[in-house]
Amino acid sequence: MAEQTYFHSIKVDKAKCIGCVTCMKVCPTKAIRVREQKAHINYERCIDCGECLRACPHSAIIPLTTLLSDLNRFKFKIALPSPVLYTQFGQQSMPSEILTVLKEIGFDHVYDEALVCEMMSVATEEYLDENRSPRPIISSICPVVVRLVQRLFPSLCGNILPLEPPREIAAKNLRSETAKQEELKAEEIGIIHITPCSAKMVSINHPESMAKSHLDGAISIREIYNKVMMKLKQEAGLLMMQTQTRISGVGIGWAFEGGEIRGLKYSNTVSVSGLLDTIRILEDVESGRLRNIEYLECLVCPDGCIGGPLTVENRFVAKSNVLRLLRHFGGKRRVNTELVQKLYKENFFSFAWAVEPKSFPPLDADRGVAIEKLKMKEELVGKLPGTDCGVCGAPDCQTLAEDIVRGEAKPEDCIYISRNESQGEKKWRKAR
Amino acid sequence: MEMKRKGMKNRVLFQQEFEIQGGDFVNAGESSCKIRNTLREIGINSDIIRRIAIAAYEAEMNVVMYAQHGTMKINVYQDNILLIIDDKGPGIENIELAMKPGFSTATEEMREMGFGAGMGLPNIKKNSDVFQITSKVGQGTSLEIKILLNGKNG
Repeated sequence: MAEQTYFHSIKVDKAKCIGCVTCMKVCPTKAIRVREQKAHINYERCIDCGECLRACPHSAIIPLTTLLSDLNRFKFKIALPSPVLYTQFGQQSMPSEILTVLKEIGFDHVYDEALVCEMMSVATEEYLDENRSPRPIISSICPVVVRLVQRLFPSLCGNILPLEPPREIAAKNLRSETAKQEELKAEEIGIIHITPCSAKMVSINHPESMAKSHLDGAISIREIYNKVMMKLKQEAGLLMMQTQTRISGVGIGWAFEGGEIRGLKYSNTVSVSGLLDTIRILEDVESGRLRNIEYLECLVCPDGCIGGPLTVENRFVAKSNVLRLLRHFGGKRRVNTELVQKLYKENFFSFAWAVEPKSFPPLDADRGVAIEKLKMKEELVGKLPGTDCGVCGAPDCQTLAEDIVRGEAKPEDCIYISRNESQGEKKWRKAR
Repeated sequence: MEMKRKGMKNRVLFQQEFEIQGGDFVNAGESSCKIRNTLREIGINSDIIRRIAIAAYEAEMNVVMYAQHGTMKINVYQDNILLIIDDKGPGIENIELAMKPGFSTATEEMREMGFGAGMGLPNIKKNSDVFQITSKVGQGTSLEIKILLNGKNG
């Protein structure tokens, strides 16, 4: 289990980990094993969903996002906050104030990502109108969904909307504009997403649909929260006067589940949030059950991005805050539709290449051997207790059986088996 | 009812069988889900898995909707995968009509649940390389769905 942390956003802090199996139990791709009282992440299987990060009772799972101190390597720093940021500072703080404060904590320029969300609504409609199959088209906004499809639903890769998400499109545009305006080299500009989850870090360091991300990093909302909160309190009242940033109501709605589909002209769309429900609906898509649905928005965090593991405000209050902002800014598109259609035709939004399947390896490269191993696995499952206790270091008995036939674990790792063996019951092992 | 096979090439490499309970909409779709996982573990190409998953799901739903009970068997051969679905159900009076896209005998209730669009059998046929259906009114229906595995990755 080689640890390749360079393109993953989650790491186990071995000093804090006590090997309690909580994270291993919640991992949807069964990527975690506990060996010698420490959790190990198999990065081949990890999709960076952050469920382990949420679940760990010992704060031993660490998100690897950009730190404020990392910004110094850039001459000109631009903050590109997720609309979720606007929901984190109570009822009184307006988006324009929050954006202004970002300029006081180390950024030279700020940009409202929500504006680009409106553009994406138009571009998505163009794509859906132009391409009548397959259906449903699955949103590519959430990097975890893209990775989930690649690994668990590889046959659905062709259903992924092949357009870059707003954060990338915004960054792409900002870099060229800023380089011109400020007379800077492209690499002197640091464009940093402010993120509710660590998964964005993976899509930046290891994008699936282009060679290099347009973003230079992602700072978590948690990392900047205290500084922003402090400034907001100190300068309340003053801030409103200084800022005249354009804010999009449609785009702010993308902070929680349904934002994307609310912005589309189609009515037969579905939105889903939460990891388990996302997996369930993708199973339905793979069975061909949702062919009559045009567009499927999936976000793996509960209630969407406002439920991200690196947010501060609880997601219920955050949701109430989004709804208030929606009422304030209105849900009308203000983007120049014709301009977006022109950009769409020039492939401004398009993936550089299609997302490729990345299925988990079969039990063996040779089909005959794989089938033998599958039979062995089924036989083993019948002999394991089925209690899914996790003491062996695998999340459940099925997975232990799979690890055994792959040669990564031993039957004696199961305490039920080793206990029986010590009492002289070695029959079944001999039978193998 | 299984097609006759000869020689090593036609040896069943792997077989799984599932019981399907008629009227059980709660657990409907589980067998096709298990089949999908099995095929992944033995390294079947994802497009083939999708075709099998769709055919298996539609066939399973037909049993759930119309029959009292049924079984779904999957046989993996060197060069193909065969799904066999047998049910104890009302049978199909006019198979030709049943195969027509849009034709359905589903009740209003089933349609309200989103089923009975009349695409089940046509979809199964579309996703299989060889498709056979036999039915006896009052006894039941049998489906044989064969999907060819081409080459090593099939």
